[in-house]
Amino acid sequence: MSETENMIVLEAVEKVYPGSTSPAVERLDMAIPRGEIVMLIGPSGCGKTTTLKMMNRLIEPTGGRIILDGDDVTDVNGDQLRRKIGYVIQQGGLFPHYSIADNIGVVPKMLGWDKNRIKERADELLHLVGLEPSTYRDRYPRQLSGGQQQRVGVARALAADPPVMLMDEPFGAIDPITRDRLQDEFLEIQRTVGKTICFVTHDLQEAVKLGDRIAVFGTGGRLAQYDDPDTVLTHPADDFVSDFVGGGAAVRRLSLLELSRLELHPIETDAAAVGNRNGTPVAEVDGSGRPVSWRHLPDRDAATTTLVTVPLSGTVYDAVDVMLDGSASLVAVVDDEGLPQGVLHWNDLVAGLKTRERGA
Amino acid sequence: MTAVDLQPGVPTPSEERKESGGGFLGVIRANYDLLVAPAIVVVGLIVMVAYVGSQTLDTIEERALEPANVFGQLGQHLLLTAYSTVLVLIIAVPLGIVLSRPGARRIQGGVLALGGFAQALPPFGVLLLLGFWEFGVRSAVIGLTLAALLPVLRNTVVGLQQVDQSLIEAARGMGMSARQTLFSVEIPLAVPVIVAGLRVALVLNVGTATLATYIGAGGLGELVQQALRLNRINLLFVSGAIIAAVALLVDWLAGVAERAIVARSG
Amino acid sequence: MNVFQYFSANSQQILFLTQAHFLYVLICVGIGSAISIVLGLIVSTGEPNPNRFSFDWWATGVREGSLLITAAVLTVPSLALFVLFLPITGLGVTTAIIVLTVYSLYTVLRNTVAGLRSVDRAVLESARGLGYGRIRRLLTIQLPLAWPVILNGIRVTTLISISIAVVGSIVQGPGLGQLLLTGITRIGAANAFPQVLIGTFMCLVVAAVFEIFFAIVQRLTIPRGIRV
Ligand SMILES: Nc1ncnc2c1ncn2[C@@H]1O[C@H](COP(=O)(O)OP(=O)(O)OP(=O)(O)O)[C@@H](O)[C@H]1O
Ligand SMILES: [Mg+2]
Repeated sequence: MSETENMIVLEAVEKVYPGSTSPAVERLDMAIPRGEIVMLIGPSGCGKTTTLKMMNRLIEPTGGRIILDGDDVTDVNGDQLRRKIGYVIQQGGLFPHYSIADNIGVVPKMLGWDKNRIKERADELLHLVGLEPSTYRDRYPRQLSGGQQQRVGVARALAADPPVMLMDEPFGAIDPITRDRLQDEFLEIQRTVGKTICFVTHDLQEAVKLGDRIAVFGTGGRLAQYDDPDTVLTHPADDFVSDFVGGGAAVRRLSLLELSRLELHPIETDAAAVGNRNGTPVAEVDGSGRPVSWRHLPDRDAATTTLVTVPLSGTVYDAVDVMLDGSASLVAVVDDEGLPQGVLHWNDLVAGLKTRERGA
Repeated sequence: MTAVDLQPGVPTPSEERKESGGGFLGVIRANYDLLVAPAIVVVGLIVMVAYVGSQTLDTIEERALEPANVFGQLGQHLLLTAYSTVLVLIIAVPLGIVLSRPGARRIQGGVLALGGFAQALPPFGVLLLLGFWEFGVRSAVIGLTLAALLPVLRNTVVGLQQVDQSLIEAARGMGMSARQTLFSVEIPLAVPVIVAGLRVALVLNVGTATLATYIGAGGLGELVQQALRLNRINLLFVSGAIIAAVALLVDWLAGVAERAIVARSG
Repeated sequence: MNVFQYFSANSQQILFLTQAHFLYVLICVGIGSAISIVLGLIVSTGEPNPNRFSFDWWATGVREGSLLITAAVLTVPSLALFVLFLPITGLGVTTAIIVLTVYSLYTVLRNTVAGLRSVDRAVLESARGLGYGRIRRLLTIQLPLAWPVILNGIRVTTLISISIAVVGSIVQGPGLGQLLLTGITRIGAANAFPQVLIGTFMCLVVAAVFEIFFAIVQRLTIPRGIRV
C-alpha cells in the first residue's frame, strides 16, 4: 500500500445519465486527504449523491478516473470494491430480517471471517456506537428507534474496518436534538478510528461542525469551492458560495473557535483577592473547587450577576449560548474537573478574540 | 393492501401504467395489455376453423355445430351469466358498503376470512346441490349467484378499505357529515372497486355457467357434455375453444369498460 | 339414507377420495409454485428503464408477457381448459394435473413479482453499497423479504385449486369431483344427495387442512425480524 497523501482522487470525473443531455456531474477534480472528513454540500439535485456513489461505483462514471489509495479503481469489480468501502445512507437501510449483530456482520461474513471473530467485532462496534451489546445484538431493526438504527448503520459500515467511509445524509431524517448527539458521537468515533470520510449533508451547520474540509457544489455538479470550513465561511470563492453560505456566516464561525485556543482573562478564587484593583473577577468555590457564585466583580454588583460556566472543550458559540441563556455578560470557563480556568467577557466578542498559538 | 388480496381474474394492477403521452399511439401503449385477449381469441379461432375445415365431420358433429344450435347455447349461457351477475352486484355491493362502515368493522374481519376460505367451496358442488331442489335455469342462476357472492363481497370490502383514508378525513375535517362523505367522497372513489367487482363476478359466472348443463339449464357446457358422451374429439376441441373465446371476450369487454370508467372517474 | 348413514357406510371411499383430492392439489400447486417462483426470480429486475436488448430488457418483457398470459388463462373457464387438453393428453390424471398446474401459475407469479419489487429501495441500495452482487441480493435479501407475500399467493392459489380440481373429474381426474359426478348422474337415487353434499363439504375439509399446513409453514419460514 503506497503511502499517498490523498486517499481518494477524482480526476475529471463526469456523469451523464442516460436520456439526459446535461451532465449531473461535470469534469470534477477533487482530492480527499487520508484521515479527513470532507463534507459535500450544495443545493438539491446538484449531484452530491451522484458524486458519492461514483466513488464506490454504485453509479458508473461516464468519464474520468477514480483513484483510491493510489490505485485506479475505475474498472475493478464493483462488488469487491464496495466491500472495502463503508457506506451509510439516510434511511439506514438495515436488513429487516437480520438481527442487529447479523446486520453488522454482513461484510465480514462475505469476506470469510470466522463466526467468533464476527461476533466479537459486532459487540465491539455496538459498544463503539453507544449501544449496549447484550441488549441490542439479538434485536431486529424494527425494534430500534430511528437514531439507534442510524448508529447500527454506521457500525455496519465500519465492520470490516474499511479505510474509507461514504455517508449520504446519514443524520438527515433525525430530530435536531438526537442529530446533535449523533454528530458529537460521530466525531468521538472518528477520533478513535481515523477514517477517510466523505459525507453528504444539506445542513451547513453540520458541515461546519464535522468537516475538515467542505466541498460546496453548484448546480450541474460544478465544484464551486473546496476549502476548510473557516475559509468557506470567511472567504467564499464566488457569489454562488456566498449566497449559499448566506448571512450569519460570522455567527457560524463562532462554532469553529474552540475555547481552548483563546487567550482568556484570569479568574481568582481566593477571598483575599476581593477588592483588587487589577480588574480580576473573584469567584466563590465549593468544597471541590468548583465556582458557584461571584464574590467580586470589578465593574458591577457581584451579588446580582449569576455565575455561568462553559467547558473548556466547548466553542465560543457555546459560551455565547450560555451567556445569553443566563443573562450574564461574562462566563467562567472550566476544565473537565469543573475547576475555573479563565473568564470570557461579552465585550471580547466585539473587541476581537485573541487566540494563542499552540502546538496543534 | 397489496395485490395479494385481489381475486383471480383481476389483471395486474394498473399501478404501473406509465404516462405515455397522448394521441392514438399513446393510448395503445398505455393499454397494450388489453390487446392480449383479442389476440389469443383471434389466433385461437383461426386455428380452430383451420382444424375443423381439415377434418371431415360426421353427421352428429355437424348437427351439434350447426350455428342455430351453438348460438342458442351461447344465448342461454350469456343469459345465465347476466342474470347472476346482476344479482351478485345487487347483493354484494351494498352489503360490502355496509360492511365497510366503521360500525361494522368487527364483523368485517370475519367476512374477509370467510370470503377467502369460501374460495375453496366448489361452485360445481353448489350448483349440483341446487339441482336436487329443482332442475333448470332458476336454480342455476341461484347457484351461480351464491358461488360468486362471497368473492365479490370480499373484493368490495378490500377495495373500499383501500379508498384513501386521508381524503375521507379531509372531507370530515371540512365539516361534511358521515352521510355526505359517503355519498360525495367515498362512493365516487369506490366506483373503480365496484367496477372491478363486476368484472370478477362476470368471470366467475361465465366459468360456472359452463357447468349449468349438469342441472339442465343449458349453456355452452352442453356442447362439451355432448362431445364427451358421444366421444367426439373434434367436437370437444371446438367446444373448448368456443367457451374459452367467449370467456376471454366477456372479460375483455369488462376490462375495457373498467378502464374507461376508471379513467373518467379518476 | 341420510348424510350420516351414507358417510359411515362409505367412509373408506370418501376418505380415499379426500386424500386423492389433497394430493392432487398439493402436486399441482407445488409444481406451479415452483415454476412461478423460479420464473419470478429470474425476471424480476429492479431496473425501471433497462437498456434495449440487455438482460433486464428481455426479463421485463418476459415478465409482463407471462403475467398477461397466465392472467388470461385464469379467465378461461376450467371446463374449457380441461377439454382443450383432452385431444392432446387424453382422459385421465395427466390432463387433470397439467391443467390445474397451469391454473396455479398466475397468482404465485404475480405475488412473487410484486413481493420482490416491494422490498424497500433503501435496503437494496445499502446491500449494493456493501458489496452484494445481484444473485446474492436476490436470494438473501429480496427473497426472504418477499416470502410472506409469495407464501400468501401460494395459499390463495391452493384454495382456488381445491374448487377447480372438482371439475377435473369430468375428464376423469382424481379427487372428490367423482362423488359429485356419480351423484348427479344417479339423481333420484336415495344416496345421490348425500354423496354430492359430502363431496362438496369435504373440499372445505381439505381447505382447512391446507390452512393449518400454511399456518405452520408461515411460522417456520417467515424470518423473525419481519413477522407481524
Ligand atoms: N438515476 C438517475 N437517472 C437520471 N437522472 C438522475 C438519476 N439520479 C439522479 N439524477 C439527476 O442527476 C442530478 C443530480 O442528482 P443527485 O441525486 O446526485 O443530487 P443530490 O445533490 O444528491 O440532491 P439531493 O440533495 O436532493 O439529494 C439531478 O438533477 C437528478 O435529477
Ligand atoms: Mg442526494
